[in-house]
Amino acid sequence: MTMPSVGILNDGAATPKRMTPWQWVGLAILALIGFFGLVAPLIGGDPLIQDLDHVMIKPCLSSPLGTDHLGRSMFARLGHAARLSLLLAALSVLTAAIPGALLGVAAAWRARWTDTALSTIADGVLALPGLLLIVLLTTFAPGKFWPFYVGLSLALWVEYFRVVRAASQTLLRSSPVEASRLLGFGPAYVVRRHLLPELIPVLRTLMTFGAATSVLSLAALGLVGVGLRPPTPELGTMMIELLPHYQEAPWLIAEPIFVLLLAVTGLALVAGERELR
Amino acid sequence: MGRKDGGQPLTVARIIVRRLVQALLVSLMVSTLSFVMMRALPGDAAMRVAAARYGHDLVTARAADAVRAELKLDRPVASALFAWWGDVLRLDLGTSAVTAAPVVDEVSHQLGYTIRLALAAMGIALLAGPLLGVLCGLWPGSAFDQTWRALAAAIRAVPPFILGLLLIIAFSVEMAALPAAGTMDSTSLVLPAITLAVGLTAGLIRVTRDALKSVTESGYFAFARTKGLSLSEALVRHGLRNAAAPVTAYVGVQLAFLIEGVVAVETLFAWPGIGHALVHAIYARDVPMIQGTVMAMAILFIGLSALADLAILAIDPRRR
Amino acid sequence: MTFLEVRNLSVQAGATAVVRDASLQLDASQKYTLLGETGSGKSLLAQAIMGNLPAGLSSSGSIAVFGETSAADEPMKRQRLWGHSLALLPQEPWLALDPTMRALSQVAETYQKVGRVPDGVKGARRRASADFSSLGLAGAERKLPGALSGGMAQRTAFAVVRAGGARLLIVDEPTKGLDAGLRDGVVSMLKQVADNGGAVLTITHDVAAARLLGGTIGIMLDGEIVEQGPADQVLAQPRHDYTRRLLAADPESWAPRTQPTPGPPVLTAKGLSKRFGEQQLFADLDIEIASGGRVAVVGPSGSGKTTLGGMLLGVVPPDSGSVSRRPDVPAWKYQKLYQDPIAAFAPRVRLRTSLRDLVSRHGLQWADVEKWMERTRLRASLLDRLPDQVSSGELQRIALVRVLLLNPVLLVADEPTSRLDPITQQETIYLLAECLADLGCALVLVTHDAAIAGNIASRVLTLSAPPSRTP
Repeated sequence: MTMPSVGILNDGAATPKRMTPWQWVGLAILALIGFFGLVAPLIGGDPLIQDLDHVMIKPCLSSPLGTDHLGRSMFARLGHAARLSLLLAALSVLTAAIPGALLGVAAAWRARWTDTALSTIADGVLALPGLLLIVLLTTFAPGKFWPFYVGLSLALWVEYFRVVRAASQTLLRSSPVEASRLLGFGPAYVVRRHLLPELIPVLRTLMTFGAATSVLSLAALGLVGVGLRPPTPELGTMMIELLPHYQEAPWLIAEPIFVLLLAVTGLALVAGERELR
Repeated sequence: MGRKDGGQPLTVARIIVRRLVQALLVSLMVSTLSFVMMRALPGDAAMRVAAARYGHDLVTARAADAVRAELKLDRPVASALFAWWGDVLRLDLGTSAVTAAPVVDEVSHQLGYTIRLALAAMGIALLAGPLLGVLCGLWPGSAFDQTWRALAAAIRAVPPFILGLLLIIAFSVEMAALPAAGTMDSTSLVLPAITLAVGLTAGLIRVTRDALKSVTESGYFAFARTKGLSLSEALVRHGLRNAAAPVTAYVGVQLAFLIEGVVAVETLFAWPGIGHALVHAIYARDVPMIQGTVMAMAILFIGLSALADLAILAIDPRRR
Repeated sequence: MTFLEVRNLSVQAGATAVVRDASLQLDASQKYTLLGETGSGKSLLAQAIMGNLPAGLSSSGSIAVFGETSAADEPMKRQRLWGHSLALLPQEPWLALDPTMRALSQVAETYQKVGRVPDGVKGARRRASADFSSLGLAGAERKLPGALSGGMAQRTAFAVVRAGGARLLIVDEPTKGLDAGLRDGVVSMLKQVADNGGAVLTITHDVAAARLLGGTIGIMLDGEIVEQGPADQVLAQPRHDYTRRLLAADPESWAPRTQPTPGPPVLTAKGLSKRFGEQQLFADLDIEIASGGRVAVVGPSGSGKTTLGGMLLGVVPPDSGSVSRRPDVPAWKYQKLYQDPIAAFAPRVRLRTSLRDLVSRHGLQWADVEKWMERTRLRASLLDRLPDQVSSGELQRIALVRVLLLNPVLLVADEPTSRLDPITQQETIYLLAECLADLGCALVLVTHDAAIAGNIASRVLTLSAPPSRTP
């Protein structure tokens, strides 16, 4: 085992990191899925049309990903499902991140009241795991889209709030900010040169986490039967529909599983060394 | 020099108070949503509950009215809400709209199963994860380390519900040895526990490895060695405690995902715990059961979080 | 028996030789001080002797410890001696203490496991307690390292090392960042080791510490020991050019300077007081700083001098009293230089961008930047870097340039050179004084070095140590 050397100063100053090759790979994967979600619904035909004469066809030229147990085109269904998942991820992450980050900065900048109030609310929301909140909301409108969107946004914003608040508090009290103020710079400058460069990488990582949570939550609830109502194509509901046909047509259930794992892997690679969940 | 985080020192009292306040907030939140649900959902909730209780053929309008009063549907919203809160805080959670049994009884029974599952999963993860992580951390860069890190990273990408699905396909369709659903004894606990444990184990391998590596690369570890302690003495006396702190913190953070995973895993393997009951309650629009199961899961989560907080307090003297 | 004999020790980092052909010797009760600046290779020499060079470095030569010779590249042989025969007191002792273990336990553990005292855990704790009392650490037994001051952490680490029983002690930069009182305390601790029959090899850039220690001195430059001899001889009659420069950089030897004629006051403070927790740091303080004047605030660490500087600039509110600055002068003409220059810059912004921002904010000319960069002998290419990619000395000068651009009327320099090597320190302080004199800017120099204060300032304000603080 190599011995660490004693007496060498540890320089902990931050330097901006370039994107690593693996992160580019992750982005490429996400772009691929995004492209698929964009194009497949346009050229793949109607995902809802059943064709009971052509049930469970193996992938071939006319039907690139085969057909399911009701003869529907897997290509079209997967395309729609991918689009749906990515759309939900993007919408809920943005709805959570922007207010969450703004509130975080506000709580750090103004002391006492705003901070305590917001932190208590955040603590309360944290007490209920996000999936349970979404599940509660789906009871109001089973199979609809909005409970997922609202539930995810509510569950995700807390993380942005707490992280941004903690980072901003440290930053606003730090010496570099004091120096900038002494030099005559105002709050806008502090935000631009001190807060943003530190917060943006952090937010980027959090948004990848949030996207993964969205995609996985939608599929998990679909799998147990409280997701989007069939016949809407969704990765989780597709999995549970195709499970009984595993032995006859194993490629069928493999497809939505593969798309889901690919999406999560892409997000994990973009997040880099940080843990995704 | 003082506390780095500038926060208040933790004490047992502070932890317990904070978690109790959370439990209160959550109960209010869930019960309010359930209250709204009861009034907003289509159909006559009171009639359904009464029918379940007395039988569909025998239910009368008077019985339904009695139930209506019980559910406070006859009162104006504000007073009904307060009364509802009062009931919930006294743990009077009503009766199921499906089985007519008291919700508290049903949920306690199911909670027992869920706790067994959660403990089994955490037991597996806390044994396997840190053990492998320590081995990786002691020889960073070795073949052992690289293999296990790659495996752990790959497995982390697979969420519990997919893993459960794959295990069902692999083990139940092929082999009849491990039952996927059916009898509820210890052997049928194996698959769901492993499914829940795998993700946490993979994460623990990584976190333990990183924690140990940062210990062995630290100035205080080098000093412990140069002052004359042997490698094993230095690891045990200085490494363990310093590595245990981030590992315990990690477990605390992962608890939410564990609880969420319970929902899917119990449903897939038909394990009769609260997650399973929740899903069925949703199918059936059984609002009292929905409220009861969600609250039970939230309280379980808060309870486990409190334990994690206490563990960190015990391990890391800097927090005190 | 010779305690330590080093012959022709060389250390290579790839193709570069970072230590070249070093030889020295230490017997019982002797002290050897290796004096040199950052980058001279002195720390690496100590690590090579010890046997814990970082990976990637190779060494050659022979090292004999208590008569047992081993080749430089056989560290395992010397590892066996760690703790009970050969010990290292590292730089920055607060990083060497386990942050989650209480101070007394760290010493007691050493008695028990390394010193192998016969009376078990209880006996070990008793001895450790006695050490704490004798080192002035009474009351700190149950503290965690994070709660110890720099001086206390230093003494705790020393107690740990002493508990192992080693007779040969290597000490790396023991006085770094310490004020005069603490420095003297550390030096007497080390002298005691030698007086009790041990031997001490001290690595430092602190000329004053070397002077106090006595014994033999070796001057290290670029990996080579360029001069070696008895301390009083080397210090009184240095033969090598570098040694002369090093000694001349000691503030005690600085040439006295003319003080500027003071003008009307730029800052007046009355009745300032500050309390920190239990301690009253200072009370009822009046200060008046004339235009172009130079005032020094001197005191040991913890005396509140940085806080006082902050009060004068308005970033720290005083508990009582008032500070008035010239009303016709904008607030940003009152500036600050930070002790750690990297604390003054936004870490992720390139230096050129930071300066550009300042130029456009105040309507200045970039030509002024170039002028000051030249005056402070800084290469323009440095500005393309990030703050952490520039050496401390250069970064402090860039911070100075940034401040000078604003044509300030008062500069509070908070220990601007305490982390720098002696020669760099001298250059920086001289530069500071000259540039400020050019602009007619007043200076408040906060420092723990009374010699620098006496040389630079026309008035010295001394803050005393807080009463409960043990040096």
